[in-house]
Formats: sequence, C-alpha cells, structure tokens
Amino acid sequence: MMLTPGDLTRDLDDLPSLPAVVMELLGSVDQEDADLSLLAKKVALDGALTAKTLRLANSSAYGLQVKATTIGQAMAYLGFEATRNLIMAAAMTGCFPSGRCPSFDDKAFWRLSIATACCARVLARHLHFNQDVAFTAGLLHGIGQLVLVTRYPEQYDAVLRERARLDTDLLATERTMLGIDHVTAGVALAEHWEFSATLHQALAFYGQPETPGAGFLATIVHVANAVAHALDLAGDAHDVVPAVSSVAWTALGLSEEAWLHVFRETELQFEEMTAILLA
Amino acid sequence: MSDDHVLVPVTRAVPGMVLSDELLDSHGVVLLAKGAVLSEAIIASLGRHHIDMVPVARVEAHRAPDATAVQARLDVLFRRHARDDDNDWAGNLLRRYVEDYRLERQVAP
Repeated sequence: MMLTPGDLTRDLDDLPSLPAVVMELLGSVDQEDADLSLLAKKVALDGALTAKTLRLANSSAYGLQVKATTIGQAMAYLGFEATRNLIMAAAMTGCFPSGRCPSFDDKAFWRLSIATACCARVLARHLHFNQDVAFTAGLLHGIGQLVLVTRYPEQYDAVLRERARLDTDLLATERTMLGIDHVTAGVALAEHWEFSATLHQALAFYGQPETPGAGFLATIVHVANAVAHALDLAGDAHDVVPAVSSVAWTALGLSEEAWLHVFRETELQFEEMTAILLA
Repeated sequence: MSDDHVLVPVTRAVPGMVLSDELLDSHGVVLLAKGAVLSEAIIASLGRHHIDMVPVARVEAHRAPDATAVQARLDVLFRRHARDDDNDWAGNLLRRYVEDYRLERQVAP
C-alpha cells in the first residue's frame, strides 16, 4: 500500500481527537490575548488532567517555592505558556490508544519524546530561547509516528518489523513501504490541528535543520533529539543515535562543560517528568 | 541499629539527609516521622529541642561506572556514526561528551 499526503489529510479526520481544551491551548500558542481565566476553568473540569498538570508544575524542574494547588495558581506562578505546555504534555501522553500495533513500543516513544522535550527546554535556557516553545516542540517532534500507528496499525507494524530485521533507517523504511514518512505525517497533523507556524516549522525541519528558513527551533529540536537518543533515555535496546548536523551543533555553540550540564539537567528533569506522565 | 542506618550529630546533619527512624523529643512526642527529609529549618529546630544525634539512612556507596559496559552500549547507540568519518565530527563529539559524562571524567572549564 502506498499513501500520498492527500490520503493522509483525509484519514486525519478519523484520528482520536484531543480534549477540546487542549485544542484551544494549541491554538493559543502565539496568541497574546488568550482568556486565561476561562482556560483555567475549563482545564479544572478535567480532574485527572488537573492533577497531572499540578504534579508537573510542582516538580523540582520548575522550582516553585509555594506549591500550586489550582490551575489558576500554576498560571500565576509559572506563567501562562509554561502551564499551557504542562497541560498539553499531560493530555497528549494519555490521548492515543496503545496496543493496536504490536511492534510499536509506545512507552519508549513517550520516553524519547519527554527526553527530547526536557533537553530542548534545557538547551533553550542556555541559549536564551523561549523554553516553553522548545519543550512543546521537543515533545511533539515525533507525533507523526502516532498518526501512522493509530491510522495504519498493520502496515506500520510491518514497517517496524522490517526496520528491526535489517536495522534500517526508520524514515527511509517508512517511505519505501508506506510512501510517506512520519515527518510528513507530523506536518499534516500540525496543519490539521492548526499548530502555530513556529511549531509547524520545527516539526517539518528538525531532521534537516540546515535547510534555509528552518528556524532556530528546528536546530534545538534536532540536537535535543540526538542527545535524548545518545543518553539512552528511551530504554529501547535497539535505539540508534540519528545523524547530527554539524551546522546545528555549531549553531548551539556550547562548550563541553556546558554540554555535561545539559546532560545532567536533562536526565534529572526527565526522571521526574516520566514518573508523573507515564505512571 | 542495622547497617543501612547511621547516627549523625546534629551539628553535622545536612539538608537532604533522610531520617531512618522516627524522632522523639524528651517527652516522647514524635517530632519527625521516619523518612522525613532534613532541611535547614528542620535541622535548626532540632537544636532547639535539645536533640544531639539524628538517625539517618546511609547513602548507597557510589560505585564507579563500568567503562567497558559504557563503551559497549555507546558502540550500539552510535553504530551509524563511524569514528573515522571526518564529516561526522558533530556525531563523534556528542559520543565523546556522553562518554565523558557517563564515566564521570573531569572536564576543563
């Protein structure tokens, strides 16, 4: 079976939809005038989502001196963007059904996504880039894989089995066997769910950050993804570190000492976040 | 007291230590529960309750990382990165830094 981006767009309508409040949060990424109190009230209606979000907000990664006990407080203490990203992280990790594609290890997928998100956030802080946007882009960079797993479970299972048998490149195997790869699927989803333009660019170009116009966020996610693999945080025996763009590496301009700090901070935040999100 | 506990003078207690037993004051009232994590404030208050020694959990001795195992795992993870490929210097640098990190090597600032 060969798919085209057109098939994909049509099939996206059958995807599980995110909770309505998360869709609103996604739409508000670049919005300055979002109604915070209304959003806080809507999130508060979902008890499980609120509980997870508050545990994340009170984790040491955010260093709150006073514990946030409501979404409104979290927004006041951490800011709207940071809180929104924690709500999204809490909602996304529980949103896609697992188990329909036996070769797909969804725990490893989310561990890698969370590791990439944590590393992107740490890198962003070192580079004075928006940490919350970096976190979200890192978390969502591989979301196209979930589209393929959810929408075409049997076919994607065959891709994963072939890849495991021959240790081939995942994107190349997807293109050969399905006609599209998970980057294309992620971009289609970004359009379907109306992600912000910044996020869209990062999802489209994190694999080729040296592409003109790719944007600095793509560079951050590219390197954060490589670091997440190199630190072995997915917990996947067959994991492999992808290509590392020398252009992206140079653009970050960090010393070895700074990198070792980045590794340590990434691992600390990762342990705490996975304990909350993948409990 | 078993091997995983150690009695520490309050003057040498530091934040982050974990109580291995509940702590009673001179009247037998529980001051702190077993498992409580000491903080600056708690340590200061112990002095006020005339407590000299605190039982804390012994921290597991730090084991040196196994260099052979670390390198073997990195060989697997970095199997698409040839060490002699000059065009892949960024990938090889990442590998070297992760190796230094895992083996806890000292790095010049």
